[in-house]
Amino acid sequence: MKPAPFDYYAPRTIEEAYKLLAEAGGGATVLAGGQTLMPLLALRMSQPFILVDINKIDALKGVTRVTNSAGSRVERRASGGPQGEAQEAPSTSATRIGPVVRQNEVIADETLRRCLPVLVTATRHVGHHQTRNRGTIGGSIALGEPAAELPATAAALGASIEVRSVRGTRRVRADEMYLAPYATALEPDELITTIEFPDWPSDTVPLFREVARRPGDFALVGLVGALAIESGRISRAGIAWFGMGPVPMKARQAEAALTGQSVAALDVQSIAELAVADTAPFDDRHASAEYRRTVGRRIFARALGEALNVRQAA
Amino acid sequence: MSSAHVNDGRVIGKRMLRKEDARLLTGRGTFVDDVVLPGMLHVAFVRSPIARGRIRSIDISSARDLPGVLAVLTPNDLDPFNVKLLSFFFTPAMSVPVPLLARDRVAYVGDPVAMVVAQDRYIAEDAAALVIVDYEEEDPVVTIADAKRAPPVHPGMESNVAAVMGIEKDDDLEEALTNAPYLLTRTVRHQRLSQSPMETRGVLATKQGDELLVYVTCQSPHLVARYLALALDKPHLSVRVIAKDVGGAFGLKNHPWREEMSVIVGSMLLGSPLKWIEDRWENLVAANQAREQEMTVRVAFDGSGKLLAAHSDYSLNNGAYPQGAEANIAVHMFIWAAYKMPQLGFFTRGWHTNTVGNGAYRGPWGMESLARETMLDIAARELSIDPIEIRRRNLITKADQPCTTPMGLPLEDITPAECLDKLLEVIDVSAFRAGQAAARKQGKYLGLGIAVYIEPTGAAGQMAPMTGELAHLRIEPTGKVTALMSTHSQGHGTESTMAQVIADQLGVAYEDVTVFEGDSSRGGFGPGAAGSRQGVIGGGACRRAAALLKEKVKRVAAHILDADPESITVENGVVIVAGAESKTRSLRQIAEIAYGEPARLPPDTESGLEAQYRYDPPPVTFTSAAHACIVEIDADTGFVKIKRWLSCEDCGTIINPAVVEGQIAGGLAQAIGAVLLEEAGYDSRGNPLAVTYKDYLLPAISDVPDFEYVHACTPSKSEGGFRGVGEGGAIIGPPTLVNAIADALSPFGEVPLELPLTPTRILELIERRPLTGKTEAATTATSAPATPMTAQAGAAQAAANATLSSPAATMTSASHAHSAVIGGCWNMVLATPVGPQKIIGRFNTEGDVLKGVLESDQGSQSFAGTIAGNRLKWEMKVTEPMPITLKYDLTVEGNKLSGKVKMGLFGSANLTGERA
Repeated sequence: MKPAPFDYYAPRTIEEAYKLLAEAGGGATVLAGGQTLMPLLALRMSQPFILVDINKIDALKGVTRVTNSAGSRVERRASGGPQGEAQEAPSTSATRIGPVVRQNEVIADETLRRCLPVLVTATRHVGHHQTRNRGTIGGSIALGEPAAELPATAAALGASIEVRSVRGTRRVRADEMYLAPYATALEPDELITTIEFPDWPSDTVPLFREVARRPGDFALVGLVGALAIESGRISRAGIAWFGMGPVPMKARQAEAALTGQSVAALDVQSIAELAVADTAPFDDRHASAEYRRTVGRRIFARALGEALNVRQAA
Repeated sequence: MSSAHVNDGRVIGKRMLRKEDARLLTGRGTFVDDVVLPGMLHVAFVRSPIARGRIRSIDISSARDLPGVLAVLTPNDLDPFNVKLLSFFFTPAMSVPVPLLARDRVAYVGDPVAMVVAQDRYIAEDAAALVIVDYEEEDPVVTIADAKRAPPVHPGMESNVAAVMGIEKDDDLEEALTNAPYLLTRTVRHQRLSQSPMETRGVLATKQGDELLVYVTCQSPHLVARYLALALDKPHLSVRVIAKDVGGAFGLKNHPWREEMSVIVGSMLLGSPLKWIEDRWENLVAANQAREQEMTVRVAFDGSGKLLAAHSDYSLNNGAYPQGAEANIAVHMFIWAAYKMPQLGFFTRGWHTNTVGNGAYRGPWGMESLARETMLDIAARELSIDPIEIRRRNLITKADQPCTTPMGLPLEDITPAECLDKLLEVIDVSAFRAGQAAARKQGKYLGLGIAVYIEPTGAAGQMAPMTGELAHLRIEPTGKVTALMSTHSQGHGTESTMAQVIADQLGVAYEDVTVFEGDSSRGGFGPGAAGSRQGVIGGGACRRAAALLKEKVKRVAAHILDADPESITVENGVVIVAGAESKTRSLRQIAEIAYGEPARLPPDTESGLEAQYRYDPPPVTFTSAAHACIVEIDADTGFVKIKRWLSCEDCGTIINPAVVEGQIAGGLAQAIGAVLLEEAGYDSRGNPLAVTYKDYLLPAISDVPDFEYVHACTPSKSEGGFRGVGEGGAIIGPPTLVNAIADALSPFGEVPLELPLTPTRILELIERRPLTGKTEAATTATSAPATPMTAQAGAAQAAANATLSSPAATMTSASHAHSAVIGGCWNMVLATPVGPQKIIGRFNTEGDVLKGVLESDQGSQSFAGTIAGNRLKWEMKVTEPMPITLKYDLTVEGNKLSGKVKMGLFGSANLTGERA
């Protein structure tokens, strides 16, 4: 378990970093927190010629609040889903997170605790305290592990990912980022420079449930999302599954069924059915597909019921 | 804290801080990888990526040419050393030789094929990737079911049976079973586990002159030194083995195996110190594993739940190269040992497959407790008897002893029934049952599991490696105490527990005793940590040696101080003469005289203050226990939450409760892993499925509750009254937890006795429908199409089966052969439960009468029997290891001889021989 030889670079600027990626012509790998990459290198399952360590790039760190001018450009892919509209409403403000922000920094960050409590909850379930000291939000978003919390959270909340290369800057919607397990819309020469989460209304209820063999393991089944509620009605819903398919799976039918509904009139069970209908679970060593489907339906109903009870009691 | 201990003069039974913890907890231990020798080179192995195949060619040229590479070794380089790999019992490990590096054929994924030696491990791994091996892949034999029907894994063998013992069908027993009022039959399946020590295997070897110096992570440097001397078998070679600190072993490190031995031989060949540290991937792929076994048990009861008879049919996956081919006879020795079981039998087989070999793992026979205790609960449910009551009706109590089990084990002081009573004092079962019923109405599923067992500990005197222990003690001229021990800690804390025993016995402060172990050049032979024996035997040795030493102190002090030896006591390092305060001396003052002024010593007294004692305990010391566990199961997810776990363990006199509880807790953590999480499996092509800790799920801190301990302290008959406690948690933990889960889920049906009980398996029971996906590994492996067999292979298998199922048939056909010359001297090998045993037979014939003598390491014994044609039969009685009649039935053909020896309940063992 010793990595194969590679050249190591630790650029100080974004421009240097993406130039290195361009010059490597696909032979480079970006090192952020290294919590997945280092074991893969040690196992020689990943054998890049060049390792571009982005930990010294200050521009990739920090959490900032931005007020977007209406029409902030969000690139859409042709295959964009039907639920895009709600997320593309001329957004007022958003939170931008640098990709090298450590997962434990996400948990501790006052701005994120206030503006993105679901992201903070989800991040608590990423790995273990020790790995979160080093692991980054960008690394988790870039890897695209289908059972990981953060790609699903980004997809559920309507985040967009800003990527840069020598060819320019573009934004990828989080729900269009993931193509297959560990395969993303990122080109080999592109570097994630920001993850931007739009603000949700102040009256938003978080949803989060995860079933894992042990705390810190990748999920057997997980769901994450948010429900914005205005005058007893759900005005906006964003929900995604993790561990329930080859990529984070948006529960689009459930989102559609929830949007506009009166909280009092909701049939939690039938929405759970709809939510599971948008999944494509798999068999592996840790659970069968049918286990995931069965438990997914139940935890969805539990999570939704509890979230709305909390709401009604308030 | 420490001064308080010194003041009352007794440290046995106290939670003394462990002496080794300061260095271990601050990262300052000395493990193999911490040792650096000048000129040291590093090893990486080239390993087979396929489970079974022929090696067409190996091309090492690119690897050898890589800068920094010193050598690439293949079997051609190592085979001339003619190393014989042995089992733990110092007998040949298998009936066919075990290669160091695979020659011609590979037999499992991870099989070492070549060995790269380079200036660092990085380069060694770069070069290993450049070795080109051309394989001709063959269909592998993966599961026990595969092994039963497939052609042999090893071309030199007639079937995949690695070892067999017992009787498949015994008419009397069959009658008892079929005629019983209630017969329970279940098949229990235990998955394959990785021992997963925190420190993986590793070795650093160097030979200077005739001294071979080996640093190796192990369970006893003395045992490894003896093993190396026997396996290498070179004149003028002295072997020294050092292992200062070891990070867990659990049986895996009982003795060196192919990789360690390859490195040692490689260092001798190249004349350079070689180091190999197994990485975690190698540990999960290529280090021997344990437990993959299945057992069909039939238990007969009368209407009141009393045991009548039992039979177990057991199979163990031995893998390709087990660290001793075995059928796990201990499972059958102990399955009913704590219960009144009138009649029992077993049939037990080990099977070779194209998987990594079977090795030891804490509580290797634990399957017995899993099967027995879970089936007792099922019987209790079916007979509507309380699970506690069914045990009480059958357990051997104090009043029943002394007695002898049907397997010949003498029992005189086991206390399982007493442990169960004591356990029930701290757990309110009826309150639990009320709470359980109320919770069920709210959809909450609570369960209580109880299990009881005895385990053999501190075995000595009946198997080659299982000897007594040596303690060499001295009071240094400084007054401090030094102990050189044959005990060895892989985390056990023997540096501390042995010091506690010595401190009390000598009358010195715990802080003034230093225990040295971990070096075969210190102390004397002992097998170290194997079979829960160090506290019992090492502790006994410390007491006896300390008593001798104290006697000398008294004698010397009495002479110097002109006092009566009887009036002298030693307390807290001070020699006191009763009624003469002015004669009080420190031990140091006495020691300075004892070493430096021999003229002042009593006549004929050796100078110095040194003593040693090799303690041989009774053959076995039993430990008993009863455990209880309460779980809650989430019916939505099938997850098990352990809410409480109580242990009532009788390990006799307790040296250090913290160490005892650490042993129990560690074993229980492994039990929880086995029941809920861990699984080292293979797919149908023999590819390992858990090769990192992402897939091999060890229990984490969140999976292990705070255990509650009750100590029953019935002193044993061994010196000091100690009983072993090293393996119990790993043995009794699985049935305790399975019983709790089964109790919680009883409204849904019966829990399958198949580990691990994954959330999917549990939810299947709750949902009453299959949830298992068709790609799940275990299913694929067992339902894989039968290995395609050629006609020839099929015939070979048929022949193998014939031999297995009806030895008589084979012999009958052989008896038609021409009559043979029988008289003379024969070299024979008997496949005993502990490995092949060499026997020399000298036969004389007088007509139909056969007379002769058998000679072995155990001595010689004469016999008389009969001859019919070329068939020989005789009987012999032996008393060791237990009274048993051996029935020989052999057939001579030319200069060869073969047949069976029936050994009572142990069934038949194969015997082969040829004319000397």
